[in-house]
Amino acid sequence: MKEHQEGAVDKIWRIFSSMKLGLVLLGVIAFFSGVGTLFPQADVDPDKAQAVGKIWQDLGFTHLYSTYWFRLILGFLCINLIVCSIQRFQGIYNRTFKLQPPKNRTNIPKKIQETWKGDSESLRNSVQKVLRSRGFKVIFEENDKQWSYIAIKRRWGNWGSFITHLSFVVLVVGAFIGSSMGFKGFLMAGVGTTVPIHSIQVSHGTVKENFDVLINSAEDRFLANGQRDNWYTDLSILENGKVMARHTISVNHPFTYQGVTFYQSSFINGVHLTADIKGQKVPVILEDRGGNYFQAPGTDLYLVASAITSDPQKPSMLFEVFKGMSENAVQSGQLDFGQTIDIQGAYKLTLDGNSGFTGLQVKQDPGVMVIWLGCALLLLGLILSFYWRSILVTGIFQAEQGNQGEITMGVSTGKVVGGVKEVFDRLVREIRAK
Amino acid sequence: MNLGLQNLESSAFDVMVMAYILCMILYWVWIGLKKDLIGTLATSVACLGLIANTAAIIIRMVISGHPPLSNGYEFLMTFVWGIMAVYLYIEFRYKLRSLGAFVMPIPVMLLMFIIMSMGPEERVAQAIPPALKSQWLTFHVVTAMLAYGAFAISFGLGVMYLLKLKEEGKGWEAKPQGIIARFPDLETLDELSYKVVGFAFPLLSLCIITGAIWANYAWGTYWSWDPKETWSLITWIIYAAYLHARLMYGWKGKRAAWMAVLGFAAVLFTFFGVNYFLPGLHSYAQ
Ligand code: HEM
Repeated sequence: MKEHQEGAVDKIWRIFSSMKLGLVLLGVIAFFSGVGTLFPQADVDPDKAQAVGKIWQDLGFTHLYSTYWFRLILGFLCINLIVCSIQRFQGIYNRTFKLQPPKNRTNIPKKIQETWKGDSESLRNSVQKVLRSRGFKVIFEENDKQWSYIAIKRRWGNWGSFITHLSFVVLVVGAFIGSSMGFKGFLMAGVGTTVPIHSIQVSHGTVKENFDVLINSAEDRFLANGQRDNWYTDLSILENGKVMARHTISVNHPFTYQGVTFYQSSFINGVHLTADIKGQKVPVILEDRGGNYFQAPGTDLYLVASAITSDPQKPSMLFEVFKGMSENAVQSGQLDFGQTIDIQGAYKLTLDGNSGFTGLQVKQDPGVMVIWLGCALLLLGLILSFYWRSILVTGIFQAEQGNQGEITMGVSTGKVVGGVKEVFDRLVREIRAK
Repeated sequence: MNLGLQNLESSAFDVMVMAYILCMILYWVWIGLKKDLIGTLATSVACLGLIANTAAIIIRMVISGHPPLSNGYEFLMTFVWGIMAVYLYIEFRYKLRSLGAFVMPIPVMLLMFIIMSMGPEERVAQAIPPALKSQWLTFHVVTAMLAYGAFAISFGLGVMYLLKLKEEGKGWEAKPQGIIARFPDLETLDELSYKVVGFAFPLLSLCIITGAIWANYAWGTYWSWDPKETWSLITWIIYAAYLHARLMYGWKGKRAAWMAVLGFAAVLFTFFGVNYFLPGLHSYAQ
């Protein structure tokens, strides 16, 4: 046969079928992941990330985990794993389902081996009995002067590393789906407001759904011992004004509608007030610590709540009023529940009660189920690899005189000798005792 | 209100600290003197320490009403618990008392760190933010505790291996009374270290996965590349490399021992380094 030039495909295949490459890639991933923790990342700390030298920003060190080159390395690792898995499939399959009893004594593993004499028939019976009772699957082969067997226990353990490797590919695929489809956003809304889902602040992806979210109530609940219980938001999903679903969420208890999930993430106290502007009543909602302001129509007066007590029984607030761009308040003071005061002669202000502002993360990630599948496979693979190692015992009997002969048994040790030897010694003891 | 319980907890803590320090010294004395009585005593004191440690954690959970994860003090207590539980299991299972002399300094140093760097106000049970109220975190902590504990043991085994290798290289076998002579042979140390890593690696994976599940419930992102997460991934990769190098290139013995040491350094960095050296922290880890 003529030597032919290695084609490009063969070459690529060969490169990617090397585990050495896999280990190098893993090392590179670990290295750059670590480097990423030394640089401020733009999605966490945009200001600091801006301050990093320009070259580093251009190379992507301030958004390292989403750079194309970091993803490319992950992609290479996936190809590597797939190629390795394809190559190993047949071997693992044969070692699990196509077991061949040994043809002669040299096929028996030597490291842990035992040889003794006995009678063919009774040895065969006891080998069969003992191994079966110990949960082995036994395959016999016989010809005139000898018989041999191969026995395997926990044979699914062979698939551990295979499943582990594929699980990593599944995880990367899941992450890719999540980042290329779906969206991630945030909304902050006061009680009673209706927010169209496509109007929320989105940091990634686009919102294709078309429904509204109504915040029925938002509450910062405390336990009897004074510790915070949780934040609760009662929300309704509206489509064309019709309530399609209603649910109360809290931190760690999200709610999903049409693949869009709402996570309680923050909470700001607020108050609702009524401004009486020359007989015209305007509802006002103010956030704690000056999160927003109220500008009375037709004036340049800006009202903010500088502090709010969250006690639902006795709400009260400290307020400040600014005029125009001035830094100094023209009026300030405390307003209690039910109290009405005059603001600069322009309008009257009444405190009606507490009102929460709820901060919700809104996410759609069709890749999440794939991620959980990958996690499950990873665990399954690791459990099979490390807690469910298969044990392979082989033996051969060779007749010498009539029924009398010699049996040799061995066990493959694979990675660890210790525990395997104990198991093997016990098997041999039991077989010899029969 | 819980004053009685709090006193009980701090007594348990004190008993634990004293027991661990004492048993460390006893293990050292035992390894030098070979007196069986001292060895038995060392093991008994270690068990006593573990009982006190368990009590302190349980009382703390009763006081705070949540798993021990609201501050560094609680983390360290459970970390120490994990090390001791795995250690004592290995000691009984493999009759490996000399390991104690190398493992015990780790919990003792962690406890010293608590005593020296954390004032009483940093140790009290704290209210936890709503985000931490999740069953997944309980699994997260339990798996972390066992995995990290086991990695500490493989570190101890790695150190023993390297010491023994060095001494054998010098031809010290002529001196069978020496301390090192009491170690199991190199192959046993090496294989045990591998077994311990093999036990811990799936647990570390489970720890990372339960963390991801929790994060997904809490704010809808299973992975956000924050430094703590990233360093736990790096630790995971180091141990994965350890397992592969051993399997495929037969990296046993010396190189495997060094990797076990390196892996544990990564564990410690994930635990402490991230909180103390890196910017932009895991918000709940402090
Ligand atoms: C992504 C991270 C990886 C993990 C978590 C992982 C995990 C594992 C595990 C648990 C084993 C089995 C160990 C045992 O049976 O004792 C294994 C074996 C193996 N891995 Fe990986 N692996 C990873 C990446 C890779 C890569 C990138 C390659 C190269 C393409 C690779 C190639 C192999 C090979 C060839 C084996 C030998 C299996 C055997 O002999 O039974 N692995 N891996």
